[in-house]
Amino acid sequence: MKKITRILRWILILAVACLMLVLPWIAQNRYQVHIVNNIGIWLLLSLGLNIAMGYAGQYNLALGALWGVGAYTAALLQTRLGVPFWINLPLSIIAAVIIAAFVGLPSFKVRSHYLALVTIALGEAMNLVLVNETPITGGADGIGHIQMPNLFGFPINNDERYYYIILIMVILGYVVGRQIVGHRIGRAFRALRDDFQAARAMGVNTGFYQILAFAISGAYAGAAGALYAQLNTYISPDIFTFNSALIVLTMILVGGMGSLPGSVVGTVLLLVLNEYLQVFQRWQLVGYGIAIIVVVLFLPGGVVELARKFESFRQRWLAGLTKGKSDAEAG
Amino acid sequence: MSVTSIFFQTLIGGIGIGSLYALVALGYSMTFRSMGLVNFAQGSIYMVGTYFGIIWYQGMVMNLHVPYAVAFLIGLLCNALLGIVLERIFRPLAKLDLMLMLLATIGLGFILDNLFTIIFGATGFAVDSPLPNTPWNIFGVRVLPQMALLIGVSFALMIGNQLFLSKTKWGRAMRASAMDFEIARAMGIPTNRMNALALSIGCMMSAAAGILAAPIVYVSPSMGVAVGLKGFAAAILGGLGSVPGAIAGGLVYGVLEALSAGYISSTWTQAIAYIVMVVVLMVKPSGIVGEITVEKV
Repeated sequence: MKKITRILRWILILAVACLMLVLPWIAQNRYQVHIVNNIGIWLLLSLGLNIAMGYAGQYNLALGALWGVGAYTAALLQTRLGVPFWINLPLSIIAAVIIAAFVGLPSFKVRSHYLALVTIALGEAMNLVLVNETPITGGADGIGHIQMPNLFGFPINNDERYYYIILIMVILGYVVGRQIVGHRIGRAFRALRDDFQAARAMGVNTGFYQILAFAISGAYAGAAGALYAQLNTYISPDIFTFNSALIVLTMILVGGMGSLPGSVVGTVLLLVLNEYLQVFQRWQLVGYGIAIIVVVLFLPGGVVELARKFESFRQRWLAGLTKGKSDAEAG
Repeated sequence: MSVTSIFFQTLIGGIGIGSLYALVALGYSMTFRSMGLVNFAQGSIYMVGTYFGIIWYQGMVMNLHVPYAVAFLIGLLCNALLGIVLERIFRPLAKLDLMLMLLATIGLGFILDNLFTIIFGATGFAVDSPLPNTPWNIFGVRVLPQMALLIGVSFALMIGNQLFLSKTKWGRAMRASAMDFEIARAMGIPTNRMNALALSIGCMMSAAAGILAAPIVYVSPSMGVAVGLKGFAAAILGGLGSVPGAIAGGLVYGVLEALSAGYISSTWTQAIAYIVMVVVLMVKPSGIVGEITVEKV
């Protein structure tokens, strides 16, 4: 029985992997591939925020601005200095990590609502820097004419080819994320989230792990930024705001806070729904608001919670069945 | 104009916009102290209240041009009813985790914003002042009559609210239920009704701010976004949950914004206000007033 489920699981994973590999060919048009690419970028953001918030309990609502840091670093390096993709991607990640560590500094002093507010304020202040420092960032007009990457003479010049870069980055992000939360760091994060004083008393270096949580979400945001800039070839500051952080927050809450598969489910669900519900225009947004309230009130663990509930129900059902059987045998 | 009169000019502008923030901050504080809940829909409630009042004044309903004072009262009344409805919605939320609470109230704000955009359209409109538009000249400082009205009525409302909370039986019952929910209930205070009253007062304050400021600012369904964020900042600046703190926080935030716009740089105003807020929070997280506020578990 157990062996069969294991084989089924591997078949499922293989099927999903094959589907992901051939996705650009089975898509009906380029727009669909573009949507999938977009989902990949938001996935990186939501994985990063879920590690910082869901696991470590550090409210990093400056995420939108950190995403912008990554995007602007890549865009400026690319347009001004002609730095190629495979160098400007790690550099954007490093830039976002450094800024994120600074954003995390107030967490030594403030927590919960206050930390949320401080990070919102810092994020908005950073966004204003992007808007106002026109000579460097291009102001509200943003930066255009960013080139799509060219990997060792092979041009990645359309959505189908870019898809594979995003796929690699998302898989990498997911695997690294799993390693982090399964590692000592992940245990320290959970200790930090559940009981700060106890974690400290047990010898967890709380300050270090707080900054680390911010830095990790910054790394994901930086990668997402560099990918975003070179996918769209144009960036402007209006997307790198608190609103984007809120959208990501909604994704991980709908999917499941403190669960990496939850991040994936939430992001894919919301973005795919978003495409299908576009015909309803404004009413779609009203429905979105109602959906958020319903999820919060009735399913606070997110969609992943539903799967977990189903699994425990199934197990109880199975246990009940075997019990009935043994009773019958005894009788 | 002399240096001092420019200073006072800026100061008056700051106090005007500050009293607007203070009224919105009061909404946050009244909700937080009574239910232990941060209501991020407060900005939307401010917008909704403005519309509830201004549509009557502007003749958008059956071409009725009711007097400004009557429209003001209608707006306040409608928002008071909204507050009672909100208390019922928020009751199950108050027990939840901060992030869930935050998200649910943001969801609520989202619903209100988009409903009003569907009903009234995304483009806003300007509102005529009920008072003459020529500024008064007081010792070389020019003050718009509407600005004076905004400041005057706001202060009257804030003082009235403070008196209500400290002197009347209902006010005392409200403070008791904010301080200790269970003991207040054991003493026979209908705590849920007190929470509804607190939310109603908060919503009325926001409506008052919106209707008073409508002739100065521009009325549109997205007008609540920035004010909501700044009102929250003001409430935290003063000490979340404290009524005098909300007023002080609002005024400080408004004056700070005006002074940095007047003396440093108008493009960096927002950024400076945000940074000062962060610094204040770091140095004194309990806010300027520093009252020990209710801790709800």
